[in-house]
Amino acid sequence: MFRRPNLYTSYETETQVLPTFTKKVIAVFAVIALFLMPFDFPIISGPTELPILRSIPLIGDGLPFFRFLGDAAWLRYMSDAMIIVIAALGLNILTGMAGQVSLGHAFFLGVGAYTGAFLGGHATDSVYGHGLPMWIWLPGAGVGAALVGIIVSPVAVRLRGLYLAIVTLGLVFLGIHMGNTDWGRKFAGDPSLGRSFPEMDVRVWKEETPLVSISEKGSWFGVEMSSNQKEFLFVAVVMLVFIFFAVNIKRTRTGRALQAIRDRDIAAEVMGVAEFKYKLIAFATSSFFAGVAGALYASHIGKMPAAQFNLILSIEFIAILLIGGAGTVAGTIMGSFFVILLPELVKDFSDWLADRAEGEGIVATVSEVILSGNQGDFGPISTATQTPNYPLSIYDLNIVLYGVLIIVFLIFEPLGLYGIWVKVRNYWKRWPFSY
Amino acid sequence: MSSAQAKRRISNGAAFMIAVMVPITIFLIVQLFSDPAVFLTTILKSLAMGSTYAIIALGFVLIFKATEVVNFSQGALAMIGALFISFLVADETIPIIPWWRDGNLVPIRNPIYDLGLPSWLAWGLSFVVALFFAALIGLFLERVAIRPMIGQPLFSVAVITLGLEIALRIMANDSSKLKLRNTNTPWSGKGFNIGDNFLYWSFFAAMIAAAICVVAVFLFYRSKLGIAMRAVARDQEAAMAQGIPIGRVFAIAWGAGAALAAVGGLFATEPPIKQTGAVDAETSLVAFRALPAVILGGLDSVQGAILGGLIVGSAEIFAGQYLSGYNSVLGSGYPLVVPYVVMIIGLIVKPYGLFGTEEIRRV
Amino acid sequence: MKKVTKGFAPLVALALVAAACGGDDAADEPADAPAAADEPADEPAAADEPADEPADEPADEPADEPAEEPAEEPAELLFDYGVSDDTIRVGMNADLSGPFASLVSQIVEGQEVYWEMVNEMGGVAGREVELVILDNAYDVPTHLANYEEMRVEDESGVVFFTESTGSPHTAATVDMLAEDNLLAIPLTWYSGWADPDLGANVVEINANYCIESMNGVEYLADTFDAETIAIVSLAGEYGQDGASGAKLAAEALGLEIVYDGEGAIAGGDQTPIVTELVAAQPDIVWMTTTPTTFAEIFGGSVAQGLQAQWSGNNPTYSYLLLNTALADALSAYYTQSGYTALWGQNDSEGMALVVSEMQKRRPDAIFSDSYIRGFLEAMTAHQILEAAADAGDISRAGILEAFQSAEIDFMGLAPNQTWSGDPNDYIVRETYLYDIDASNFTPDATVSDNDGGTGNVLVAGPYAGSAAEAYVWDGPCFVAG
Repeated sequence: MFRRPNLYTSYETETQVLPTFTKKVIAVFAVIALFLMPFDFPIISGPTELPILRSIPLIGDGLPFFRFLGDAAWLRYMSDAMIIVIAALGLNILTGMAGQVSLGHAFFLGVGAYTGAFLGGHATDSVYGHGLPMWIWLPGAGVGAALVGIIVSPVAVRLRGLYLAIVTLGLVFLGIHMGNTDWGRKFAGDPSLGRSFPEMDVRVWKEETPLVSISEKGSWFGVEMSSNQKEFLFVAVVMLVFIFFAVNIKRTRTGRALQAIRDRDIAAEVMGVAEFKYKLIAFATSSFFAGVAGALYASHIGKMPAAQFNLILSIEFIAILLIGGAGTVAGTIMGSFFVILLPELVKDFSDWLADRAEGEGIVATVSEVILSGNQGDFGPISTATQTPNYPLSIYDLNIVLYGVLIIVFLIFEPLGLYGIWVKVRNYWKRWPFSY
Repeated sequence: MSSAQAKRRISNGAAFMIAVMVPITIFLIVQLFSDPAVFLTTILKSLAMGSTYAIIALGFVLIFKATEVVNFSQGALAMIGALFISFLVADETIPIIPWWRDGNLVPIRNPIYDLGLPSWLAWGLSFVVALFFAALIGLFLERVAIRPMIGQPLFSVAVITLGLEIALRIMANDSSKLKLRNTNTPWSGKGFNIGDNFLYWSFFAAMIAAAICVVAVFLFYRSKLGIAMRAVARDQEAAMAQGIPIGRVFAIAWGAGAALAAVGGLFATEPPIKQTGAVDAETSLVAFRALPAVILGGLDSVQGAILGGLIVGSAEIFAGQYLSGYNSVLGSGYPLVVPYVVMIIGLIVKPYGLFGTEEIRRV
Repeated sequence: MKKVTKGFAPLVALALVAAACGGDDAADEPADAPAAADEPADEPAAADEPADEPADEPADEPADEPAEEPAEEPAELLFDYGVSDDTIRVGMNADLSGPFASLVSQIVEGQEVYWEMVNEMGGVAGREVELVILDNAYDVPTHLANYEEMRVEDESGVVFFTESTGSPHTAATVDMLAEDNLLAIPLTWYSGWADPDLGANVVEINANYCIESMNGVEYLADTFDAETIAIVSLAGEYGQDGASGAKLAAEALGLEIVYDGEGAIAGGDQTPIVTELVAAQPDIVWMTTTPTTFAEIFGGSVAQGLQAQWSGNNPTYSYLLLNTALADALSAYYTQSGYTALWGQNDSEGMALVVSEMQKRRPDAIFSDSYIRGFLEAMTAHQILEAAADAGDISRAGILEAFQSAEIDFMGLAPNQTWSGDPNDYIVRETYLYDIDASNFTPDATVSDNDGGTGNVLVAGPYAGSAAEAYVWDGPCFVAG
């Protein structure tokens, strides 16, 4: 902090992933915090006892950040978010670094999930499965998805901009459709019940009791943990591995080539960057990330139908990329957590609003106007269980707010969360001369 | 790239198209002679389907030409337009819009209901008023969500329209869940028989509506406002320098696009797309089926939208009719993905769509 | 959260290996640890005090305090999670903003009314029953997250899931239910739930799709002297279960199956099916699809001149279709099948209860048959909880035990139900059949309108055909993957 962080004395130090001391420290703390998250801390996690803080929205029931600690329902959301981070990093390579807009990322997640299920799942009368151990099916899922990415890329390479985006969108619909055909069902299972996916357990080879059991509760290093906590830690490790790769891709020749293609691909080709080859690499890599993430996602959920890999999931990824700040790894990570946890925050907010309607004060009046109870009131949003035709229900409101918040965010901060972070950081860097 | 190479590339594409079209044509001719009544029905159905897709595609293209934004919320707008028609036609009070009366918020009465007109006239009036309100919504969306994003990367704006789609669709769905709302078109459910096949009047209505829309758009583009819009589409800065109010052009484009979506939404509730004549949750998904038509034709071409819509609609209907024996291999519900397959095949040959302007890439 | 150096990866790998060598206790938590031993803080409820814990009472129900102390407050009532001294929490993991939101929100309303009534009469074991409702938006990950939130092992968890919307969603939680000793009432009638391997913790209510198809086909065949049948079904456990039942009935009755096809999943052009269906010219058609798919196929076939009698499993038909262009055709050609009596269609005690309670507590609610489903679910849970309370154990394990020997009396709304013994003995074989009469449909009515109707007239029910009676259950009709 008291040195000169922008002074670089060698090329190596400039391209380091964590060039400054501060960044290194933050990184270490972040990783430690990540591994401590699943465990309870006596004072910090749980609802706050101080009455002053209780009435503040979102904070009253436990500081939202610290509610992440401990074995709670939030842990599932956090594990989901970390798996989505892996997939989003893949999309970041394709869209953020190579500039190839893809709305079909959910398709590659699905391919990975079903490849993983094919390799590692249990065969029944109606689905294939080979019961192979995780060190085969997890990378195998990535490889399978990468192969599909390679198959798709000759078509995709010829297309640009929105044309590419919508063709990849078509992939999502085609994928769901293929999952429902007779032959597709052998991989994807029943169109409505789905199939069960392999458990996250470390085995050597198809034996009965795993070497390290992640999907059952047990104890590691003498600490008693539930299956959610163990899965969290495992996924955290996998995520860190992929973050490592994603961050370092930028520093390699391939990364520079991809960025050149994004910026101006004709110029890149003139300079000697083979467009087809590098776009192929971009698709393959991004699909690999998506495949692994898809297999983890499916295993984490346990059993689901092919229709889960739908347009909404694809939109989530694009939203993550844009809200986080396209092209940056840190932005993608922040964006993933934000978008996955957003529905929960919105639900808390509307619950809080509904509760306050009965009280007094400004907030109560606002929510009186906006909300309407069972009968009589007229407000566009209804807290009743059943909503006669026009008012939105409080549950619909959550989804509408989700869409609206994405819009608002993009309007007011087009550079995303990473842009906000940069602005905040610059402000404090220059303080007290921040103007 | 030498001209010999260029010629070779063009003829490769042509060869591909010939290789695809010849067997299809032979197949169609065979079907025509084996069962003319069914063939005629299929042709009319596909023209109707194609017309509906063409109307929706026109909406997409209109908005894209002016503002360079692909409006993913076109489907939600279509559903809202159809809902407006159903509100105005049948309901005593208009939902959603409140009014103060005696110190309470009450819904307002539907003036068309109160007029007590003969049903076809009431319907026609509702249709026009609904188009007007749909256009208003388009204006509102443009002002609120798109205008602030001028100058931002197009992809962010596309995602904004995706967010709009989610929000609008949920709000529209809410209105249609508890009561399937009938659009009460005068020709609903009626038609005539050819052999064993029933031809709905709505097929012809869709074709006529598409023709009217196309003519309207062409005339519009020749009007002063239309020329201004074309100028804005060509080069925004030059248009501004000429004194063309860009904001107004954008607004009109969105308003017109929303109105076209409403018309498309109406026909999305009629055969061949829906048998029930009512608006339900799937009406908003029709636009995602029309999207391939837009892409196939080229995002910024009006002729492309029409042709693309017709091609895609026909492919869907013909595949549904004549390939039904292969249901198990193709998967049930395969007609829904036929538009996307056709789009991909088309884009392999022409990456910017049939009539889209090729992007000139400079170093 | 950036990596520090490249050296971290081997460290992490080392940590993972160390964890593996660190030994792993098998997950051997006894499934039914005696509840009283688990929570030292939860003394078995003292003999009284339902009224002295104002902090836990929801602020707006002072009128629900039982007027008279229930005499039977057993001093040794065992309970663990989800129960406190004055509340019992039951949960609903329901689709309130997804494709079934309109239906499910009415079911939720029905349950709310029922539990309000129960609480006014004193609740269960002197405690008020609190309904916890979470929205799963018909999304499996959300459903699982809601499950986690409701299964917490303390007072704020639940003891029973009185509604779990979605077959894939419920299926995804089956293992977790078994582990947590929880019960869930699903909103599906798949014949596999009776299979102890799949549905040991699933409280399925009413007949299943397979039986329903058998009854429906037999009724149609008898009433309309049919010889040929066409079957149209969705892919998936719902569609194929129904289709299996229809095929079994066709075989037993000697009907010829002239068309057997799978409809599309979502709406869209159903021409392939309509073409082949019309060409096959069946006498009766049995459908197991969704209302939108059904509307397309039915409408398209009738337009092409098919004269047949149609029916289908309950979820295939929606009375809202009477508001569309198909109303007249439905009146002429469709027979509705259902698992229960519909609103106002019989004079049973249960029906009178539903009507009076709904009119009293939700007079402006939209007229619908779905409230009955809410009542049935709540009745099931209520009677199981009462049985558990009588046995002195309303811990999760105790409730599970009570379920296994419970007998539910639906007061005439549906056939009584039990789950003890061999599935072949206890599966419900009766369903109800209704004729459609569009003139009976009042779209804007509320529950207070005594001439309200959803367009159906009971013609047979409870009805069990010969095929259904003779059927031997030895596993689900259709085995889903």
